[in-house]
Parts: sequence; C-alpha cells; structure tokens
Amino acid sequence: MSDSLIGKIFDEFPDESKWDVVIIGGGPNGLIAGAYLAKAGVKVAVVERRYEVGGGLATEEILFPGYYSNMHAIYHMMVDFMPVLQDFNMNRHALMWLKPNAQTGMVFKDGKSLLLTRMVEDTKDSISKLSYKDAIAFGKLTRKWRKIVDEIIGPATYIPPMAPIEISMAMQRTKVGNEMLELVEQSPLEIITRNFENDRVRALLLYTSCMWGLDPRETGIGMFVALMLQRGVNKCYCDGGSHKFAGALAREIVGNGGTILDAAEVAKIIMQNGRAVGVQLAEGRVLRSKVVMSTLDPHSTFLNLVGAKNLPADLKESIERWQYDKWSYYTLHVASKEPPKYACDDPWVNNAFMVIFGIEGLEQLLSHWDNVVAGKISDNFGGHATCESLFDPHLVRSPYGGYVSFFQMHAPYEIEGGWDKKGKEMEDAILEKWRKAAPNMTKNNIIMTSHETPAGIETRFPNMRRGGIKHGDYKPIQLGCFRPNQDCSSSKTPIEGLYVCGASTYPGGMVLGGSGYLGANKVAEDLGIRKWWKPTKPMEQYIKTYLE
Amino acid sequence: MPKEERYDFVIVGGGPNGVGTAAYLAKCGASVCVLEERPEAGGAVENTEPIPGVRITPHAMYMYAGPAPAFEQLELHKYGFRMDWSPQSKNLADQQLRGVATTYGLAPITDKDALGWAKISGMLTSPPFIKELLRSIFWCPPHPSEVEITAENIPYMQVYKKHQPDVWTEELLDMTMFDLMDEYLETEPIKVMHAMVAWYSGAAGHWEGVAIPALGCDITLTIYGGISVPRGGMHGYFHSIIRCAIAHGVVVRTCCPVDEIIIQDGRAVGVRLRETATTDEKRIWANKAVISDVDVKQTFTKLVGTQHLSSSFRRKVEDISLKGGSIWVSHLLTREKLRCRPKFRNPISGDDAGLGPYPCDSREIYYEHVADVDGRRGKPTMPPERLMWLSTPGDRFDAADSQCTIPGRYLASPYYTYVPPPEYTVGGPDALDKVKEEINAYLRKAFSQTIENLNDDTLVHHWANTPYESEFRNTGLIGGTWCGTRHCDDQWGENRPIPELSRYRTPIEGLYLCNQTACHPGGLALMAIPYNLMHILIEDGLAEPGKWWYPSPWYIPQQDKVSAVPRHGGDK
Amino acid sequence: MKKRELVGQPHPQCFFSEFPAESDWDAVVIGAGPNGLITAAYLARAGLKVAIVERRYEIGGGLATEEILYPGFYSNMHAIYHLMVDFMPAIKDFDMERHGLVWIKPNLQTAMVFEDGGSLLLTRMIEDTMDSFHKYSDKDAVAFGKLMRNWRRIVSEILAPATYIPAMAPIDLTVAMQRTEIGREMLELVEQSPLEIVNKNFENDRIRAFLLYISCMWGLDPRETGIGFYVPLLIDRGMNKCYLHGGSHKLAGALSREIVRAGGTILESSDVIKINRHNGSVTGVELMEGRTLNSDVVISSLDPHTTFFDLMDKKKLPTDLKESVERWKYDKWSFNTLHVVSKEAPHYACGDPWVDESFMTIFGFESTKQLLAHWDNVVAGKLDKNSLGGHATCESFLDSHLVRKPGNHISFFQIHAPYNLEGGWDKRGPEIKEAMLAKWEKAAPNMKRENIVMSTQETPKDIEIRFPNMRRGSIKHGDYTPIQMGCFRPNEACSNHNTPIKGLYLCGASTYPGGLVLGGPGYLAANRVAEDLGVKKWWKPTKEMEHYIKTYLT
Repeated sequence: MSDSLIGKIFDEFPDESKWDVVIIGGGPNGLIAGAYLAKAGVKVAVVERRYEVGGGLATEEILFPGYYSNMHAIYHMMVDFMPVLQDFNMNRHALMWLKPNAQTGMVFKDGKSLLLTRMVEDTKDSISKLSYKDAIAFGKLTRKWRKIVDEIIGPATYIPPMAPIEISMAMQRTKVGNEMLELVEQSPLEIITRNFENDRVRALLLYTSCMWGLDPRETGIGMFVALMLQRGVNKCYCDGGSHKFAGALAREIVGNGGTILDAAEVAKIIMQNGRAVGVQLAEGRVLRSKVVMSTLDPHSTFLNLVGAKNLPADLKESIERWQYDKWSYYTLHVASKEPPKYACDDPWVNNAFMVIFGIEGLEQLLSHWDNVVAGKISDNFGGHATCESLFDPHLVRSPYGGYVSFFQMHAPYEIEGGWDKKGKEMEDAILEKWRKAAPNMTKNNIIMTSHETPAGIETRFPNMRRGGIKHGDYKPIQLGCFRPNQDCSSSKTPIEGLYVCGASTYPGGMVLGGSGYLGANKVAEDLGIRKWWKPTKPMEQYIKTYLE
Repeated sequence: MPKEERYDFVIVGGGPNGVGTAAYLAKCGASVCVLEERPEAGGAVENTEPIPGVRITPHAMYMYAGPAPAFEQLELHKYGFRMDWSPQSKNLADQQLRGVATTYGLAPITDKDALGWAKISGMLTSPPFIKELLRSIFWCPPHPSEVEITAENIPYMQVYKKHQPDVWTEELLDMTMFDLMDEYLETEPIKVMHAMVAWYSGAAGHWEGVAIPALGCDITLTIYGGISVPRGGMHGYFHSIIRCAIAHGVVVRTCCPVDEIIIQDGRAVGVRLRETATTDEKRIWANKAVISDVDVKQTFTKLVGTQHLSSSFRRKVEDISLKGGSIWVSHLLTREKLRCRPKFRNPISGDDAGLGPYPCDSREIYYEHVADVDGRRGKPTMPPERLMWLSTPGDRFDAADSQCTIPGRYLASPYYTYVPPPEYTVGGPDALDKVKEEINAYLRKAFSQTIENLNDDTLVHHWANTPYESEFRNTGLIGGTWCGTRHCDDQWGENRPIPELSRYRTPIEGLYLCNQTACHPGGLALMAIPYNLMHILIEDGLAEPGKWWYPSPWYIPQQDKVSAVPRHGGDK
Repeated sequence: MKKRELVGQPHPQCFFSEFPAESDWDAVVIGAGPNGLITAAYLARAGLKVAIVERRYEIGGGLATEEILYPGFYSNMHAIYHLMVDFMPAIKDFDMERHGLVWIKPNLQTAMVFEDGGSLLLTRMIEDTMDSFHKYSDKDAVAFGKLMRNWRRIVSEILAPATYIPAMAPIDLTVAMQRTEIGREMLELVEQSPLEIVNKNFENDRIRAFLLYISCMWGLDPRETGIGFYVPLLIDRGMNKCYLHGGSHKLAGALSREIVRAGGTILESSDVIKINRHNGSVTGVELMEGRTLNSDVVISSLDPHTTFFDLMDKKKLPTDLKESVERWKYDKWSFNTLHVVSKEAPHYACGDPWVDESFMTIFGFESTKQLLAHWDNVVAGKLDKNSLGGHATCESFLDSHLVRKPGNHISFFQIHAPYNLEGGWDKRGPEIKEAMLAKWEKAAPNMKRENIVMSTQETPKDIEIRFPNMRRGSIKHGDYTPIQMGCFRPNEACSNHNTPIKGLYLCGASTYPGGLVLGGPGYLAANRVAEDLGVKKWWKPTKEMEHYIKTYLT
C-alpha cells in the first residue's frame, strides 16, 4: 500500500502475517486465552476494535476532564477462583484486589437499612434489626451455600460443561451436591420467599441474586441464587481500576512474544474450503493463522464475520434463536465534592462497596423489573450506587479533588420515547432519588455528571448487542452446555479452526474468565500443545469428587 | 542511661500478653524490653481506687486462665500468685441449684441440663478431660496455612474424638452454641444463660461455627472457679506475671508511649518513643524482633504506617470487626447491701444480688439484645425490664479482701451490659458518652428488676466506664471490647484476625503480634497468646526454651521451620 | 480485721499451684511504702531472701499515682514534691536512671499570688527569687541572697548528709557542730522558732508570709523553738523540689524491680494481722488470708500503734516501750486536697505571667497574721472559709502521661486541715470543697464551673482510709516536735531502727529521720539489719555523707 515517491521511510506492521492463533477481541476472555497460549509458546495475535484493550475492563476519563470511572466491569466476583490469577504471577503487575467487609448496603425511605458483609455475622447483626429469624436463616443458609459454591459451582466454572443429566448423576454423589440439585429446581423468588419472612430482607436478597440478569420467577437457575449471594458478599475492587487487570494480562501476552493490535476491527474471518484460516482487518491487513478464536457475540462471529452462507444450517438457526440479555443498564456517573452520605441507621453503609436504594419492598422490585422487561421505566425504579473513589484515590485527577461515584439501574434496551430523549430525564429522576437516600447529593455538591444508556453501551462495545453485558441472556436453554449451543459450548465450533471463547460461551459473562480459560485449554489440546498450567486445588478436588 | 538501647526483643505495650510474652522470652535467656504508655503496666487487667478504700476493677475481673500452661512453665506461684476462693465456687452442685434468673424468678436446672452440660464440657469421663478440652481450644497456635483445616485436625475435635466420641460430629463445625445446647440440654433459660455468658466472654452463643469456642469461653469462667478472683483482683494475677518477667531480667518502662515501629529495608528493627516518654534516649533497637501488644489496627495504621502496607492488606486490617464485646461496666457503691427480690432467693444464693445473666427467659430476649447492640448501633432501645445484663455474686468481695470497700459501704461490681462499639455508633463515637448519666439511670432501672433496694437513698456512687472511655483509658482496647476483635468464625483460629496474621507473624519481617485483638485466641487474659506465640518464635529460631518448655500436643509445625517440639520432648 | 479461714490449699477445680500457705524468709518487711521498698531493695541485693508484704493492692504507699479521677485521669494523690532527690543514697546506689527515672526540677518552684495581683516567686536560682522580692523590698531581696549562701552550705554539708546517718543525742550533736563555723550557725538557728527567724531576717510582711509558709507547710509549729534548723532545710529544699516524670509511683516501681530482680518477693493485698513471736523474739508474720511467712527478722514501716499494739500483744511489751508508744503524738495537722480535671489549666490573675508555670502556687493568704490565724484554726480543729489558703499544682503541666483523654488538665489544691474537723468531715466536706473552689476561682478566674470536668476531694479521714498507718491523716506518721525528732523518733529505744524486741526492726516515717520521702528510715534500717546479721554491705555512704562523717564524727 505505502509505495510513495520518496520510498519507504519506516517499517510498518506487515500487510500479511502468519500466526498460530488469532484472537478476535481484547476483552478479559480474549486476553486470558491469549496469555495462556502465548506463554505456551504459541504465536498469538490479539486484535481489538477499540483503541484500548480490556473490553469491559475499562477505566476511562468519561467524566472529562479529570475524573476516571470504571464504566463497565467493577464488581469482580470470582477473584477467589479464577485460575488465571493463580497461574500468572500477578504481583509482578502490582495487581491488588480490595474486598471490603461492607459489601452491599440497602437504605429505605424511613432511614432503616440493611447490610450484606463479607463476614456473615455482621450481616446477621444487620438483618436481626428486622427479623432475628431471618438472621438465623441467613446464617444457616450461608454456611450451606458457601459449600455449594466453594466445592461445586466455583470450580465447575472452569471445567468444560456437562449435560444436565450427567450433572444430576455426578451431584448425587455428595450431600452438598444434592442440596444444589434441590436449589436448581426452584426459582430465585421461591428460594428467597421460602427461607425469609421479612419483606425488606427478601427484597435485598432477591435484588442481589437477580441483579445480573436472572428472571426471579424462572425455575432451573436456582443454583445462581447461591452463587450470586455468596459471590455477592465477596466482590473485589481492582485497585487502580478494572483496566489494571487488562493491562496485566496484555503484558503477559506481549512479554511472552504475543502481539496485540488495537484499533484493529476485524472485517471478516477468512474462510478456505470450509475452515477458518485467518482474519482480515477493516484497514486491509490480513492475519493468517491455524486457529481463529472469537470472543464476540454469536451474531458478530457467525453471521457478520464468517457469513451466514458459510454456516451449517442448524448452527445458523441456533444463532438466530439466540436471545440477548433480558435487560441492560442505565448508569449515571457523577463527580461530586463530597461522597454520598446516606441518611440511615448504620454508619457502615457509607463505606459499603454497593448501596441499593429506591426499592422499598419485594413487590415494588418485581414490578420495576417487569416494567424494564416490558420496555418501560416508571418512577418506582431503584438501583445500586458505588462511590469508587472511596476505594481508589487514583481515579480523581482533577486539581479540585472530589469523588467519583455512579448509580446503576436495570433498563430496557428499547425504551418508550427512545433513549435520546429519556436519557436526560432519567438523569434528573435519579439525582432526585439519590438525594432522598443521600441528602448531601445536592446540585451544588455535584461537579459534573455523565450518563450511559443501554444504547451507549452498545456503541462502545458493539458485541454487547442490545446492551447485553453478558452477550446473551441467562436462561436454562442458554446456559451450561447450551451456551451458546450444544455444538459450540466447549469452545470448538463446527467450523474447522474457529473457536469461540467470549461471554456468550460457557460459562458466561461477568468477568468470570471462564470462557477464555476453557478456550485456551481446548485450543491447546487440539493443537497438541503441552499445557504449562494445572487446574487449581478446588478444581482438582471437584474433579476427584464428581468426575472421576 | 546508655545512648543506644538495644535488646533482643522490644515489646510494645505492657498488657498481660506483652508482659507474659516478655516473661517467656526472658526465661529463654533473651534480653527483653517492654514499653508501656500508661503510668502502670497491666493493660485491662487493672485496679483502681476512685474513692478511698473502695477498689473497683474497670475491666478484666474474672479468672479465665485456669488451664494455662504458664502456671507451670513460668511458675507463677513463686511470684506470689494467689486466689481468693469464693465459698460459692467450691461446690458445683450448689451452682446448679442456684437456678437461672428469669423475669418470673429462678428457673430450676434439671438433671438433663446438668448432665448434658457436664458431658460436652468433658466432665463425665473419669478422669475428666475438661482441662485438655480447654487447652485444645485456647492454648494451641493455629495450624500453618499449608495445612487444610478439617474436622480431623482441629484440636478440640481431636479431643472429643479421643475422650467423648459420641459428641464428635462434623456438624460441630457449623453449629452455633445454641444448636449444641439444643442437643444436650433441655431448659431454655439455662441455654440462654450459657449463650449470654459465652457472648460476654468473647464468642457468642448465636454465632455459626464457633459452638465449641463459645462453650470454651463459658466453661473457663463458670466451671473453673468463675466467681473466684485472684487475690488483689486480676491485677494481682498480673503482678505475678510481671514479677516473673522482671525476675528473669525483663526491663519494663512505664510512661513510654511508642510512636513508631522503625522499619528498615522491610524489617522491624526498633521503635521510636514519643518525645514525652520518660527516658533520655527516644529510640530503642531490637536485634531479633519487635512484638506488638498494641491493637492490630493501630499497630499497622499508626505504628508501622500505611506506607509499608499494600492497599488490600490495609483494607483487611481496617475491616476487622470489633462488634460484640463493647462493654459498659457499672460499679455501684451503696449504703445498704443490695438484696435481690424475694422471687430470686433460694437456700444457696440467699439474697445475694449477683444472679449472673438476666433475664434468661427465652432466646427472643437474647436476640433483641443482639439486634440492639450489634445491629442498631445507637442508644439502647430495649425497655429496661427486658435489657440483658450480667452480674456475679457480690459476696465474693467480702471473701478475703479487706480493700474492696469500707465499713458501712457496699460495693456491687461489676455490672456488665453491651452497647454498640463507638466506631459504629450513629452520631459518632462519643454519642453515648454525651448521655452517660441518662444511660446509667436506665441501667439502674434494669438492675432493679432483680434488686429490691437500689434507689437514690441507698446509692452512693455509680461509676461507669463507657467503651469510648475505655479506648482512651486503655489504648488498644479498641471498640472498648474486653475480648478483642470479635470471635466470630471469620475471625477465629486460622482466620484471626485475618488469615495473613493468624500465626502471629506479619508481612513485615521481624514484627510479631501478641495483642488480643490480633491473635488467636483473643482476650480474657488467658496467657494463651504468649504460649502460642512461643511456638512461632521457636519456629523462626528466635527463642530456645529450656527443659521447662512443652508445646501444645495439637501443634503442627510449619514446613521448613524449626519445630517447637523439643528433642527431649517435654510434652505434657 | 477478723482472721479468715485458710485459703491456701488447692481448690477442687484448681488447675494450678498457688503461693504456699507457709514459707521461710531471711527478712520480712511490712509495708511497701518508700521506706519499706528501700530497706527490702538493699537487703535483697545483699543476698538476703526478702519478702515484702503490702496491705494495698499496689505497692508504693505515698508514692501513689492512681486514677482517682475515674475514668481516665491519674493523680499523684499523695507524695509529689520530692525534696531530697539530690541526696538520697538509694537513687545513686541503685542507679535509678536505668529504670528510666527522670526527675524534673523546674527553675520556677513556688509562687504566691495575692488578691491585688501581686506575686512572689521562689526559684531554684537565687537571683530570680531576689528579683521578685525586689518588687516589695530591696532589703529583703538582699537579705535573702546573703542568707541562702550560708543556708545552702548548712543544708548540703550538714543537714542533708546527716539525714542518712544514725541519730545522735542532742549533746553529741552540739559538740560535733562546734567544729565548724556553719555548724555553729546551725546551732544558733536551732534555738529560734521559724517565726522568729523569718521576722528577724525579713521586713516585708508578704515575703515573711511566703517564707513562713514554705518553712512550716509540712508540719512545723511556727512558734516552736528547737526546730529552727528546719527553716534553712525546707527553704533550700523548697527551692529544689523535683517532680518524677510519669508520676511518683515510678520510684516505687523502680525499687520493686530492684527487689524482684535480686530474688525478693512482693505480696500485695496482704494485710499483716499478727507479728508472730516465740519466747520474746519475732518468728514471722501472719496474713489476713491465712498464710504465714516465717522469719527471724521482721521490719515494720508502719506507725508505732499499728506495729506495737495492733500486730503484737500490747500486754507482752516492755512497759517503757508501751508508754512511749502511748505518748506518741501524730501530726498537728493533716491535709485536705481537692483534685480536679479541667479543660484549661489554672490561669492565675496576677501581674507575672510566669506564675502559671510554677510547680507550686500558694494563694489565699494576704499576710502573716492571716496565715497564722489559719494554722491556729486548723490546730483548734476549725476551718474558716474566709481565711483558708493553701497551695496548688497543675500536674499535667509537667506530665502529659496523667491525662488519658487528650485536651484536659489535672490539678490539685491542697490546704492544711484538722483530722477532727468541728462539725465533722462527712457533714462539712461538701461546703469546704465549695469554699476551696471559690478561693481557687478568685485566684485563678478561669477555674469556674464550666471549666471543671471532674473533681474529687480527699479529706484527712480519706488519707487514713487509703493509708491506715497515716493515723489521723498524719503523712509523717507522727508530729515534728523536738521530743519526737532525732534520737527521740519514735523513742530512744527504737530510733536506731532496732527495737527492744529481738528480731523486730522499724523503718517507717515514724522512725528517725522522719517522713516526706526522705528515704532515710529505710536506708538506715537496712544498714542496721545488715550490721546485726553480719551481712556484707554492697553499698557505701555518699560523698556528702563521707565528708560529713570526716568533718564531724571522726
């Protein structure tokens, strides 16, 4: 391309290059897959459409100038289990996780409050204000559920999916396994209402279980209640911002000889007699490879990049059947002089990692979610807020100081009246609600704001179609070995040389790091590459107990 | 004074754990300096005589430490250790017969209660294994991190398996003390009483996973001469410890507040004293180690300094929970001997006003109290007649000690009740102090539920120290808790106060911890931390005890360390 | 005190051994006040197996720094002005610095303020005192300068070293003093009363009142003759008072460590109820709790009544000893002390800002007449609210360690007061307290209600309750009168610290040379016991003492 009259001045990245593996998408899963393979000696290239790697691991100055926000992933729930954190020496990258004891607060109009904490007794203390029966129940369930998560769901996240029937068989082996099976068959709502009597306690626990996109009334996903409540009280913040995690992974890739290309949008996956042999970038460059791994959503990967005509019929159908998340998020980022001070009966709430407000009870919560699913938001909405700079001073670069916070609520991708109009209205409605909960969030406390609508999410991250942060809804037929479908849930696809390892693949989204890890494993096996890593202790324990 | 002061060990804080550790190390032949910021060493194990002839004990009051190896290893009796045995503590049967105080009077205790209790407490076998049980709970260092904690290797589980196999079950590790008692006892009031005593001794009866530690906290007090006190109060017991330390050459400096633990190249090498310290030289150097008997939070945030800590470690330290031990201590001086109301009298207790926990009707009351203290975080909201509080027989004082009060004046002390820790009180840490008199009056109303003659005519003086005041009186008594950071499952044993610190070592080389807030098994002046810490210091090659030393039989050495099990194997 | 059942033996649920019910010792010291501790420390280091038993739960006796303003504030509730630090042999012999004992000797020692805002200062440095005297009388200023030059020598060469040397009969003393000029000067002084001395040498009434207060405040009768040498002693020492940083109790702590380090044993909360005797000689002591400590040597630091009448069978005492003990007179007055916690330190309304920093501040007296009237009242068992005055000290100004809750101050105001107050202390205590607060506020206007956080009053009765051997609130265990001093303290038979009873020794303030934390009786008793037991002394007299011995005794 660059044949100029004065000849070549400097070298550029070649128009055509050869690789063992090309990975599409520099999000957490793409980076994890890349890091494992690069360290295994595989010649890896990661191509990322944005100007910066990380995908949802983004810490950027959207409150411009001077204030950084974690505009997407911020609550890291699987830090205790993620193999990548143990397999790579992340200390080298000064990766630091904060796990506050005060995890999730919930404040009510009358100044009462509830608090979920890392240490179970502190939570029981808080619940006992409203019902000591619920406090006891919470204590007992937590111990049960902790085992289910620690021994089963946690490790299983990083082990290839099994068919439902096999799972039930395996789980029969232990008491804990059976307890999990019982859970599966109940809906989140059933589980919560059966075990807890107080309406506010119910509301808090249901919100925590379903906030990442479970249908409270759906059965077959009950184990997620245990998972979400357990991990919901073990959320970590990545000191310096979530992007530090992406940065660390990127350094591992490059350090091991891999290549990362940002601002490199893939125009198509090059097919050659039925197999994927590389990718072509929008700018025209071609990267040829033995294996192409895509972290994108099913539509982008198969319909846009491979092309419908190149797909087996049933695969094509399953892709067309794919359902994106039932709801997306509307987020209002705020820079303020003071951090929010919630008017409530528990001083700890002000230090909580997450504070839920606007929800007074179970009924209101359900109707809010029903609204959202129906494409509406009425004034009964509520959501959760976090003051990031309480945990992370690095985010504030402005000479005027201040604090960075955000409020986040469930919101439909398509809203009556459209987001262009609704976006601004919501901003005022939210600030109004916030002020009710935290009286100091007044106009003159607030330095600047910036809102992110579901449409906005899609604009930043096109593969989060319809603002679907998990690249696809969590429902029985889109989970486990059905994610994204039985052909692809083990990362390998019916198309030779093409692998999928994004959030739409088992085990799913939420920065689990599972798809990327499993993708790397699969590719390593298929390419006959010696794995330099071993399963973690919990995984080995799980395999020994249930799979052997 | 030498311009450069240098010792093998410098210990910051002269509480029972600091001085006890000093005694152990000095007996190993090390040179040790203990720095105490108050005019008197002893920490919360103290005495004071606010008005002439009337001695009160602001904090530590009860003798929990009975089974401590220290009595043998440090030979405390040689340094004047004596008890004032209360006649009432001599006869356990009597204690049973006293019954449990409820709003409707004394609830009787059945044989099933007595037997069940005796069984789980290790008293039904012959010989009883109660001492072994208690030692397994408190007097053994937590297992090293490479060891997976199982129902098989937890010391107290081993003891049950050995002596009372039918009590042993894996469920013990998930149970609350209430669950345990529901299995072995039948009368609700006695269960509530024990749960409360356990709570007021560290590990509460409603906390999951600490059923046996809670039981242990209870029985060290109630079975073993609970209502007997050392001669001269707990401070008398401390005297025997500090005299042992001094006799072995320990240098104790009072009025020497430490402002900084000096870190050089990531290693603790000494301390810097406050400029007001009553010494010439303001820096004292440690050849082997600095050991902090200051509470875990101030040790790291103030003395070490956050510049030496990772953000995640710092967060964990800041998050250590203090709830459940913040105690409002009342001492009542009266013109008449306080008498309990007729419905509480019986042949054993007579009209003694000290009835133990009250009211023990049902666990509903207990849980209301829990919510009030650990949940609501404000002024007590329970009606005085339902408020829970704890007192012990008053006639203990007259037993053999002439100095507890003066003729014509009667001292009823202590009366304990829990309130929220200052740090978590809505309205700020001093919120309760602002209404101190109001709360005192409220408490007297509560006490009057069982006492018939506590009124303005009989009352001479009502002293109280609030948790907030305790924090000032006694830097290191953070939260005003007398048992250290809360003994919940998340902060017990291998998790106490956080896993990184559970074996008394710290991320800073040469810095060790021995404060009740920082170490297993917490407070109660058990002389357990010094003993447990010894194992670790031996592992690190810093201490070499003589033949007098024996390690805990359940102790597991850490990989690639010197084992604390001596070659001569002086195991008892 | 009734004897309690023996509780030594092991208890049913007992997991440990206790201090034995019966034990054997070379020497048992009764009372762990400064003197008892000093005796025990010397003897323990000399290799004796020593036990010291203390009735209170804490050793130290008058060396008490305790949280009487509870919760949170420590006070030196008894001894605070250490007069003899420069001479006490124990401080040198035990190298107290090793224990971190730091004495503060402020230059500004004592101030006196008057209603009209006038003030007088007594300082360590003579010239500063003279400067302040000049405000009232140049003549007195000059006189003071001249006198002090001689008096200093009288103190440092005679009175101070003699304090730690066995008592001499008056006649021997007179003979010895003839040897030197300052010796003769001292003899002249002896024959005058404090009032005469002060009046003869000074003309200004305020200066007279000031110096008279300083000379007599510890219990001299201003009109009594035969004690005149105390005037130079107390004025010179009054210019050299020391505060022990961290509180007086630190001295007790240091001494106790010396005892324990040397193998001695200390038992607190141990009321001695009986000194055991076997055909005439002592065999040990019996404790209220029932334990017995056997020893052929028992050294009591208690007052004569307790030692001889309470702990022994009065009837079995030699008659003359019995009579002399019965004749014993306790201090002519005691003290009433008001301890306060205040937000601000007292700020005295007077022309001289320096006064606020004074170690001791005297107020309430405008003239010698009023001062004498106050003392006459006290001796007569009265307190006149208008004429009372005294001295105050802000302890926290010198010592931050006493304050546990930052931002507050601890001070006390102390007045001379009768043990038997007309109307009784129970009844009149509160009104006296009010009167004292009023006086204080008058002198230091900021000492008003709003400023005061907490306060507590210690009456003479209270002193006796805390320290029963300070009978009738006598801080010196007995009055300073010619017939109760020198070789007559407590009587000729016992002033050399042994007694007519074999094995029984005395080492308390009621024995020569007396109280006020001189450390004399304890030191001399240790010497006596060591000599009687033929124990080699590891210590030597101080330089001053040697010089005194050379000059006057050899």
